[in-house]
Amino acid sequence: MAGNKGRGRAAYTFNIEAVGFSRGEKLPDVVLKPPPLFPDTDYKPVPLRTGEGEDYMLALKQELRETMKRMPYFMETPEEKQDIERYSKRYMKVYKEEWIPDWRRLPREMMPTKKCKKAGPKSKKAKVTGQGTSLTNPADVLKKIEELEKRGDGEKSDEENEEKEGSKEKSKEGDDDEEDDAAEQEEYDEEEQEEENDYINSYFEDGDDFGADSDDNMDEATY
Amino acid sequence: MTQAEIKLCSLLLQEHFGEIVEKIGVHLIRTGSQPLRVIAHDTGTSLDQVKKALCVLIQHNLVIYQVHKRGVVEYEAQCSRVLRMLRYPRYIYTAKTLYSDTGELIVEELLLNGKMTMSAVVKKVADRLTETMEDGKTMDYAEVSNTFVRLADTHFVQRCPFVPATENSDPGPPPPAPTLVINEKDMYLVPKLSLIGKGKRRRSSDEDATGEPKAKRPKHTADNKEPIPDDGIYWQANLDRFHQHFRDQGIVSAVANRMDQTSSEIVRTMLRMSEITTPSNAPFTQPLSSNEIFRSLPVGYNISKQVLDQYLTLLADDPLEFVGKSGDSGGGMYVINLHKALGSLATATLESVVQERFGSRCARIFRLVLQKKHLEQKQVEDFAMIPAKEAKDMLYKMLSENFISLQEIPKTPDHAPSRTFYLYTVNILSAARMLLHRCYKSIANLIERRQFETKENKRLLEKSQRVEAIIASMQATGAEEAQLQEIEEMITAPERQQLETLKRNVNKLDASEIQVDETIFLLESYIESTMKRQ
Repeated sequence: MAGNKGRGRAAYTFNIEAVGFSRGEKLPDVVLKPPPLFPDTDYKPVPLRTGEGEDYMLALKQELRETMKRMPYFMETPEEKQDIERYSKRYMKVYKEEWIPDWRRLPREMMPTKKCKKAGPKSKKAKVTGQGTSLTNPADVLKKIEELEKRGDGEKSDEENEEKEGSKEKSKEGDDDEEDDAAEQEEYDEEEQEEENDYINSYFEDGDDFGADSDDNMDEATY
Repeated sequence: MTQAEIKLCSLLLQEHFGEIVEKIGVHLIRTGSQPLRVIAHDTGTSLDQVKKALCVLIQHNLVIYQVHKRGVVEYEAQCSRVLRMLRYPRYIYTAKTLYSDTGELIVEELLLNGKMTMSAVVKKVADRLTETMEDGKTMDYAEVSNTFVRLADTHFVQRCPFVPATENSDPGPPPPAPTLVINEKDMYLVPKLSLIGKGKRRRSSDEDATGEPKAKRPKHTADNKEPIPDDGIYWQANLDRFHQHFRDQGIVSAVANRMDQTSSEIVRTMLRMSEITTPSNAPFTQPLSSNEIFRSLPVGYNISKQVLDQYLTLLADDPLEFVGKSGDSGGGMYVINLHKALGSLATATLESVVQERFGSRCARIFRLVLQKKHLEQKQVEDFAMIPAKEAKDMLYKMLSENFISLQEIPKTPDHAPSRTFYLYTVNILSAARMLLHRCYKSIANLIERRQFETKENKRLLEKSQRVEAIIASMQATGAEEAQLQEIEEMITAPERQQLETLKRNVNKLDASEIQVDETIFLLESYIESTMKRQ
């Protein structure tokens, strides 16, 4: 094209003088590394404003920082277990007030699940009976089936009360995993308890059926 | 949300609420609106902790929830609200200047707790004030209530949206989350409460003497079973109203710097009169007649009507255009151009930054380009009267930092560089955005440095705290001067020096944070006002 003077020779496509360099070859070196992390500044920053208002705000800021740490909203990370439990740690704990949010203003799934031992199978029952229209995905259904298979026969009568509480407070989706874990833990405990004594639980409860069921119990001696 | 904003939010949340809340909050800011299980799965925290963290964040108005189809509740974080946490000291100090200690404590309690009922606020503030008063005196609830009502009347505190009282006519299951409603006229309505009582002084010395372990004390105080009269009516601090106040303060001080005290008083009067009639994001206030202004001037000011008119004319003719004349009825109708005023303040900030970073000659070039809108390289050199080489160097420096931008005007359709005009121009909006971004980065750096300094000297700080506690307890039980002296010597002189240096540095860093936040406020207001007008 017309602009191609001198084949193979570098030619600028623009007027080099406009940028500030004469036609000589004194272009500055190419910088091959990123700019320094803390470059030198020619001009030092202006000193901060001082005054009564600024001092007061500074004191406020530092106080607020300390106060926030002591409020119940500051969630402490649970520390990893130390090798030796220090005796003094017990007395250095800062006791914070417990904060209960207003549950009426929050979504229902925010309420904490009751982690008491007996709650596991009750919530299962509530989920199975009361909420047939719950949204389930295949994984949950499989889990539920597993739980039902694993569950033992008898429900203790004194756990009936907790069932009612459990069904009121628990919501559908949010507690699946928690309840599964709690239930599994709970069942493990039940089994442990069963192992501790030699009596079978059904022995005491099924008073009326004692005679009829005794043939099914394997531990009884058969003649 | 830019990376700088996210980093700053993360630091703020961590300082104020701990690591768990920080993790959840930052995750929500990054990814937008998410349901509960997804949050727990993505962040790898247990469901229980996620719930607690979300409760804390919702309580402080940092996260909102929405019910979507199929009953799924999604949570969304409000990044800009998180950044407001930097400004809490300024809000509290403003309340103190306007409503003295009572107002200050009310606003402080509301900011610390997110939302509270009026009775809870009044009780807590009365208790706190009683602590600071002399022995035997107590603070009456009525006085605190009065201040609260005044704060509500001037819109500094407002009601939170509440759960509507439904009659449960629908037979279906209750919704997974309540929808909160509030309408304009209820927002500042104070419920009719008769709060009678006085503040209680917490007699901590008596309770300690009986030897009760500290664990028992919270149980006593949480034991009141009285029904709360205004249950469900929560109040929060109205940050927009505070921002309006800061903006007014900025305009008044700008006028005072540019002209004199009297003109700033006139402008302050005009702004005060427009507080109620003008919405906070209007480009200019309602027109005010000169007669009205004369009547509303503060009592101490005795300037004649003629002098007032002269001042108003002067203000309206000023090239900065803070005040404009919109008509001649009633002795002259004047408005305050809020948008233009914010623009001027933002521009002044930019100019000042250029001057402090690059020098006064650069500032001259910058102001020149601002004034003339578009200039060629040659014209810049001529108008600024600066030699060509230096002018070029300065222009390129500012260009590389994005204070100035290039506008290409091609002469030919093929945009050949040799046949194109390159004009320098300042785009105030984008320069303001760039500066705002740098401010966020600065504050993040300041906070990090402060945390680093504190961590470095943690051992020393703990030691000094322990020594202070020992001295305080010894003084309480009456100890001799010699014993106190001995305890104080536990901290050696070089350690004391180190502590002094640490304290000075931390104070400086904190003060810097507060002052950078003022710049952030100015720039954000300007950007918001500009975006609303488009």
